[in-house]
Amino acid sequence: MRILPKEIETLWTLFTAPVVWALHFLVCYVGAAIYCAKQDAVDFGFGVVRAGIGAVTVAALAMIVLSAVLAWRQWGFGTYDPPHDDPTPHDRRRFQGFATLLLSGLSFIAVVYTAMAALMISGCFQ
Amino acid sequence: MKPPPIAPEEVRRAQEKRLRDVWETPSGWRYWTSVNNTQVGVWYTATAFAFMLFAGVLALLMRTQLAVPDNDFLSADFFNQAFTLHGTVMMFLFAVPMFEAVAIYLLPPMLGARDLPFPRLSAFGFWSFLIGGAFVCGSIFFDAAPNAGWFMYPPLATDKQYSGIGADIWLLGLSFIEVASIAAAVELIVGTMKCRAPGMRVNMMPLFAWYLLIVAGMILFAFPPLIAGDLLFELERMFDWPFFDAARGGDPILWQHLFWIFGHPEVYIIFLPAIALMAMIVPTFAQRPIVGYSWIVLAAVGTGFLSFGLWVHHMFATGLPQISLAFFSAASEAVVIPTGVQIFVFIATLLAGRVIFGVPMLFGAGGLAIFIIGGLTGVMVALAPFDWQAHDTYFIVAHLHYVLIGGMLFPVVAGLYYFYPLVDGRKLSDRLGKIAFWLMFVGFNVAFFPMHLSGLRGMPRRVFTYPEGLGWDWLNLISTIGAYVFAAGFLVVVFDVLRPKSRQPALERNPWNAGTLEWINEPDENWGVRSIPLIESRYPAWDQQDLIRHTDEGRFYLPDAEEGRRETLVTSVLDAEPIYCMRVGGNAVSPIVAAFALGAVFIALTFEWWVATAVSAFVTLGAILFWAWTGTAEIPEKPGKDIGLGLTLPLYRSGPESVGWWAMFITMVGDGTAFGSLVFGYFFYWTIHEDFTAGTAGPGVLWPMAALACFVAAWLLMLAARGVNARGSAIGMRLAVGAALVLTAVGSLTGLYGPWVHGMDPTAHVYPAIVWVLVAWTAVHGAVGIVMLLYCLARSFAGKLTTAHDIDIHNVVLFWHFLTVTAVTTFAVVGLFPLAL
Amino acid sequence: MAIAGALIWAAVIGTLIYATRERRRVQSEHAAGLLILWGGAIIPALLLGLLLGYALWLMPDIRPWSAPGEPAGLRIEVEGEQFWWRVRYHPADGPPVDAANEIRLPVGERVEFTLTSSDVIHSFWIPVLGGKMDMIPGRTNRLTLRAAKTGTYRGPCTEFCGTSHALMAFSVVVMEPDAFRDWLADEARPSPGAGAPGGELFIANGCPACHTVRGTEATGAVGPDLSHVGSRETLAAGIMPVDVEAIASFISKPDAIKPGAQMPAFGMLPEADIAAIAAYLEGLK
Repeated sequence: MRILPKEIETLWTLFTAPVVWALHFLVCYVGAAIYCAKQDAVDFGFGVVRAGIGAVTVAALAMIVLSAVLAWRQWGFGTYDPPHDDPTPHDRRRFQGFATLLLSGLSFIAVVYTAMAALMISGCFQ
Repeated sequence: MKPPPIAPEEVRRAQEKRLRDVWETPSGWRYWTSVNNTQVGVWYTATAFAFMLFAGVLALLMRTQLAVPDNDFLSADFFNQAFTLHGTVMMFLFAVPMFEAVAIYLLPPMLGARDLPFPRLSAFGFWSFLIGGAFVCGSIFFDAAPNAGWFMYPPLATDKQYSGIGADIWLLGLSFIEVASIAAAVELIVGTMKCRAPGMRVNMMPLFAWYLLIVAGMILFAFPPLIAGDLLFELERMFDWPFFDAARGGDPILWQHLFWIFGHPEVYIIFLPAIALMAMIVPTFAQRPIVGYSWIVLAAVGTGFLSFGLWVHHMFATGLPQISLAFFSAASEAVVIPTGVQIFVFIATLLAGRVIFGVPMLFGAGGLAIFIIGGLTGVMVALAPFDWQAHDTYFIVAHLHYVLIGGMLFPVVAGLYYFYPLVDGRKLSDRLGKIAFWLMFVGFNVAFFPMHLSGLRGMPRRVFTYPEGLGWDWLNLISTIGAYVFAAGFLVVVFDVLRPKSRQPALERNPWNAGTLEWINEPDENWGVRSIPLIESRYPAWDQQDLIRHTDEGRFYLPDAEEGRRETLVTSVLDAEPIYCMRVGGNAVSPIVAAFALGAVFIALTFEWWVATAVSAFVTLGAILFWAWTGTAEIPEKPGKDIGLGLTLPLYRSGPESVGWWAMFITMVGDGTAFGSLVFGYFFYWTIHEDFTAGTAGPGVLWPMAALACFVAAWLLMLAARGVNARGSAIGMRLAVGAALVLTAVGSLTGLYGPWVHGMDPTAHVYPAIVWVLVAWTAVHGAVGIVMLLYCLARSFAGKLTTAHDIDIHNVVLFWHFLTVTAVTTFAVVGLFPLAL
Repeated sequence: MAIAGALIWAAVIGTLIYATRERRRVQSEHAAGLLILWGGAIIPALLLGLLLGYALWLMPDIRPWSAPGEPAGLRIEVEGEQFWWRVRYHPADGPPVDAANEIRLPVGERVEFTLTSSDVIHSFWIPVLGGKMDMIPGRTNRLTLRAAKTGTYRGPCTEFCGTSHALMAFSVVVMEPDAFRDWLADEARPSPGAGAPGGELFIANGCPACHTVRGTEATGAVGPDLSHVGSRETLAAGIMPVDVEAIASFISKPDAIKPGAQMPAFGMLPEADIAAIAAYLEGLK
């Protein structure tokens, strides 16, 4: 069995990590907003929302790490230094890998920032 | 690489003559029918600058009014029109179009393409922009300009008594321009992904192209929510549908969401292309490749995504739950990281090179110095506790001008000085450039720095006057003086551009010794590149020996125009391998007619002249159909052609390999985003109300489900139509298309029948109104689909759509995928969601 | 924050200027790459993370939803109108008291504001006491403030609300708690001047259709409550002093003083009548 999925030849893998950030952000915001608007109609507390956000965050971070690992492999596990500007498909792939790795890093930080919001704020406070 | 062989002299002369004839710019009045990127790009840029000067004059009028307390230089009403128009024009008629203009001009030469894939669409976009812009700007001369601030918050802006037709002018004039922006986005995405010179892999694309790709993608997701908002807004103003009227279940906050989902990415849509210009200028002046190419890609993509998680930071004071504010605060801080990365990339590149200093660098560095201040105040206002204090004060006015003028205007002027030789073959004056810079730099800071203080001292924005003695008097006077100095500096730039330069000797090509491809273009020739080179470096002009000479000698691809057609190459997305040779549209009147007719539709709507609206809509449809019929999906006279260097490429491709398919895909993504915004509206109303339906009847289940079934069946038929056509049965295709046509018509009418038969009155409450909007949106798309099907049938009977040449049916099926998603979502939501309550 | 910002700006611009100098060592690509990594990514990410954490930690304390252990105190309902403020005090004990265009607060006590609007969006802001909060039609926003010291302050409308947005402000008077309670009790009663001469003209000329003066038959609720207008700090929502002359000029041409104001002009009345009404209103202490 393959542990890592097969390498895919496409531009879109570049956007995996930011898309994960976007989904995580959306789920957190929409979830909290609906809870705060409808809190009278449901019978659980804000703690449940925070737990949910925690779970989503762990899942999102895991996916970003996976994307980073794949990118690291595509980059050649760091054997080659940038700038990756040779006119070969290899260097083009390394460039994609490196850029994807950087984007995974940024997305990781952005997801952590988002989760900090739920960590520090313990209610709707409207 | 071994240099490719050279053709004999007389052959080359003949090639050049043919190319010149094909790409010739028309003369006389026909000059304006040109669609080539060099002409359209220059018109576009000049028009955007003209609008900017107009908005600048408004700013000076406002600053004069505010120079001293209790001034009566301007009336309150004129001041309100002036600041609304100033913001609107600067954002919609200068900042965004300026980037489209520069991109249309620069992108083809940078990518080594002869033109963009849809030159007539660029021309259409330009004319739309000109008409819409003139309409919006002209309103102030009739005392009818919009006057509710550039973000047009209802209920003030929906109040007809207060805003007159000003708000309609804003909504319709700008919707029209937004359509033009989306057209530009389609053009730029397809151009960047599919029209690069062979060998220009994604790791070799000029950074400008990377930025533009991201920005065009952002437009696709940022503008549609505003278009959806405009639609709701105009329905409220014209037909009294209560989307933003709290008394009937509406909510003014929905507009704020839709506006800022557009509005914040907009800031980055403006900023990134300007930084893209810097990313071209900095390596040239450091005389070395950029350090951290991948970091720039990270920054562009990262900013593109994160900028969509910031919009609520414009709404920190609206009383949303603090937890919501916190999420947006977090994203607003995160977006600073990629922005900082870009600045450090530039500094690192300069540090690793030997810097030559010139006027473009001066404006670039000055712009960075200003922008960083704006960025730092941005970090502050992104924190909710600080923003509660600073929000809607002059602190924000200072912040946004530091960001936009430092992040956009200064880099654009830098770009003007840098790229001017590409247009004219001459440089702008060094001396005037330096004078202009120092006037602008000093004037800007004198004008805007004090505004931080007046804001912190409690001065709200958008006030036409203020009482004396609150500590704002001398700060405002200083600001006004600075504004005039700044304006004087900009006038020097304008003078430098307009002064006659015929006595100045023409320069050699590539006067800055830049490394990128656009500099091998000849300013006197309209063909772009003499032959399309094979790219092997990020900076081909530096690294590829004799590139200019070999290109000029026609040693590369497409050195000739044997068939007398304008052609460019279509290549693959990742590695830019040649796929086919595309014939692009030549000069034409149809885009101009279409733009003027569409403009007439929007203008007639403003004044509610229904007959004129209908007539212009009919003319628009006719012009577009004529344009499509004569200018697209043409069947070539031969299947392929030799494009040079021993390569033969096809002349016709359909489906995902063709540029038209991509254009349809991208357009429909934008369309889907607008639809998504309307669905968001539906659920938004559900969240804010205890009883969303307010006890009124819904559309029922039966009719929505019947409509859903019709649309799904029509979709299956369209898939079948494409399939049988590919298997060689034109008749089968026609039958399936005919059946799909009937089902779509039935489905659309059935969908509308649901709310109709249950007597849903859209003026009574927001619930019936939002249901009607969703259903009508779907029905209108169904109608557009029917027009497409009729078009396909006509093409099939005319022999322009055959079993082998099937671009049209591929593209229409693609439309159908999106239509089906729209219909299924609409009818599932309006029919089933009320059951779940 | 401003100092940290200035330092960051100076460091970045300093490096930039150094980079453009002709005589200097050319850095290797590797060193330049490290600069991007540390200067552009890692250090900003850490600093921003800390700053964000601090701000998030501050938020609930700055805008408390409720203060635990503190009894419900004074609540003030403020409604924004084009272009003035309708104010209603809800003391913990006792009936509500109407007022307009001026807010008085007891020093040191937590006061809750409920903010609404009757027409367009306005924004309520007392710069010296805390951040602003929008007043949105159809929504009720809450804000709590605690004044630390006595004094008179100014609060402007901070969301653009129409022609005379610039002319919409209010005065804030922070008083000792006892003085405040005495004042509120006085405010609830008719003014001693309510029966003074000039009142009959105020009534006869139609003013009661819109305005209330407690203790008289004027009970209109369209315009601002004038029961104690003579004792306020300012006239016409924070734009004029309260004196007979200013009141008279506002009565005769409100639209010239405050473009777009709803009040009709009464310039057609005899000057003497306007003066008498103005003197009457000025006497409503």
